[in-house]
Amino acid sequence: MLKQFHRLVSPKYFYNLAVLLTPWFSWLTALLMIAGLYGGLVFAPADYQQGESFRIIYVHVPSAWMSLFIYIVMAVAGGVGLIWHIKIADVLAKSCAPVGASFTFLALATGSLWGKPMWGTWWVWDARLTSELILLFLYLGYMALQSAFEDRRVAARASAILALVGLVNIPIIHYSVEWWSTLHQGATVSKIDAPSIHIDMLIPLLIMALAFKAYFVTIVLLRSRTEILEYECHSTWVSELLNKVESKT
Amino acid sequence: MNRIQKLNALKTIQYNCKEDELSQLEVSGIECIRQDIILFQDVSFKLHTGDLLQIDGVNGSGKSSLLRLLAGLMQPNAGEIIWQGKEISRCRYEYQQEIIYIGHLNGVKDALTALENLRVMVALAGSKPDIPLSNALDQVELAGMDTIPLSRMSAGQKRRVALARLFVTKAAIWLLDEPFTSLDASGKLVIERLIAEHCARGGIIIFATHQPMEIENCSIMHIHLGKK
Amino acid sequence: MYSYWNVFRVIFLRDIILASRYRAELANPLIFFIMVIVLFPFAFGSDPELLRRVTAGMIWITALLASSLSLEGIFRSDYDDGSAEQMVLSGCPLTLLVAAKITAHWCLTGLPLIIIAMLTAYLLSLSTQALQALFLTLLLGTPVLSLIGAIAVALTVGLRSGGMLLSLIILPLYMPTLIFSMLAVENAMVDLPVDAELYFLSGMLALSVTLAPIATAYSLRIRMS
Repeated sequence: MLKQFHRLVSPKYFYNLAVLLTPWFSWLTALLMIAGLYGGLVFAPADYQQGESFRIIYVHVPSAWMSLFIYIVMAVAGGVGLIWHIKIADVLAKSCAPVGASFTFLALATGSLWGKPMWGTWWVWDARLTSELILLFLYLGYMALQSAFEDRRVAARASAILALVGLVNIPIIHYSVEWWSTLHQGATVSKIDAPSIHIDMLIPLLIMALAFKAYFVTIVLLRSRTEILEYECHSTWVSELLNKVESKT
Repeated sequence: MNRIQKLNALKTIQYNCKEDELSQLEVSGIECIRQDIILFQDVSFKLHTGDLLQIDGVNGSGKSSLLRLLAGLMQPNAGEIIWQGKEISRCRYEYQQEIIYIGHLNGVKDALTALENLRVMVALAGSKPDIPLSNALDQVELAGMDTIPLSRMSAGQKRRVALARLFVTKAAIWLLDEPFTSLDASGKLVIERLIAEHCARGGIIIFATHQPMEIENCSIMHIHLGKK
Repeated sequence: MYSYWNVFRVIFLRDIILASRYRAELANPLIFFIMVIVLFPFAFGSDPELLRRVTAGMIWITALLASSLSLEGIFRSDYDDGSAEQMVLSGCPLTLLVAAKITAHWCLTGLPLIIIAMLTAYLLSLSTQALQALFLTLLLGTPVLSLIGAIAVALTVGLRSGGMLLSLIILPLYMPTLIFSMLAVENAMVDLPVDAELYFLSGMLALSVTLAPIATAYSLRIRMS
């Protein structure tokens, strides 16, 4: 068991695994995305209150879920790298950040687009949107710190600490913002992920959520492949790989 | 696999009971990569009590990095540093009580007086000084300058205050990075005498310097970093 | 041997003495604080009713900015002259040394800031209940700011983009403190109880007192490598 784990976290093995898995996950993403979008945009009935504009939840809600999920993955991977000095964990954490930030931005943008017809304005200080915005700041801080260091190892460790501090803070931020918003403006019409959703609307939503997950895995695999090659540029297996590629072309 | 582990365990026990006869500090196969550049690879040596080791190498060959690795400030990318049978990162505070590291930076405060600086150093070392603090200043030829803030001292005098730590704190292993920078001839002499005494007491000294060194009654071992 | 308390005291006093030798620098965050407060009426107009409503808010935001600007000083000079290296290599737990430094920093910047803030709030004729709430939130909140900020400073000290990066990292982490403090003050202004918010702030203080020095020590060690 332990032996297998050690093999899995060796950069060379992980790289090969990533090369193997990337096409599978890309196809899975494409399939799920088509199914989910068809279900959401064509198959699902229009909302009796919000009309057609509710369909943006098929992008908004999964990306909001992903934004938090990826932050947790990133912080946990960073922590694992910090404690057990596992290179792969550092690489994964670093590859997660831009994807997570993009999903957070997507959630914000779609939330704002949805807000225009619903609330008549692009931005309201709704609790969910506000915490999402703060999450985006956390991601941006993480990426800024990551790029401020010249040495990879130091960068990985320093930003892992920041991610963990952020992870501890996320629940506090979430509840403080929630409290603040209820005291300030009462409950807003947060129909956006109401519990009472019709099953025909729910199934495409879940498919979209899976599609986003698969997309995330694909992108992280791709990014970490590049990262591993850079990280391991001195090792023999990377130079062998490069020689092979060069002799082919 | 299991047998090797057992053997290793046996070895550790031996280390623990006969630490005096075995090496105090053992460096095996360490590698240092900074900013994607390999500074050195596969550096190994063993040091016993009373050993004096000089690290040679051109600028940028990783002399300072090796000292920082030995101090535990950085971790090697590969290999390990073993002190009395234990990896140094596994017994951090015990090990740190046993070393003095004086780097490029003096680690003294300009706004404080020499005496105040020494007091802080002693507190950080976590032990009582052997000799009164002002005596230590006498030793580095700064007698009567206890109450002058360091901002009014010259670079050489500041270096002397930093080196005064060698008198006031007890530690077996000294790691000195270019100890003679900005010291004059008499300052150099004081430090050389101190190094000789420490070796005679059974301490270990590792230092990096460009200048050729001769110390009486001490044979200096050398390790060369970078391309020859 | 030596006691941890003794080490804590030496480092704490060292920072106090250092600050007393650079007395002029000590006043800078306070002058900055007052200047920013003066900016608000220029921006909002001098309508006393409006200003009274935003007084607590502008005091807190200004305190936030002043704290994040002064924070870099915790480790800056130690990083530059190598004292930080010696601390990391000390035979005493780094957490303890870092805790001493954070305490000293709060006594030197946080405490005077509270006094000046209270004075400003009084001059801007905040009601007694609001003053009380503001005082309590500042008392509980500014140590949280120093503690959380210290982690970020330890990570970014000596970096090329230091100051800006520091603000970018810590401001999101400061938001809960600001939110709870402002809610408490607003409640106090309309005579509502403020216990809940104060309990939250105390909880955050307890959490950061226990975790922040450990995280700061870890960060500093990484930064030194």
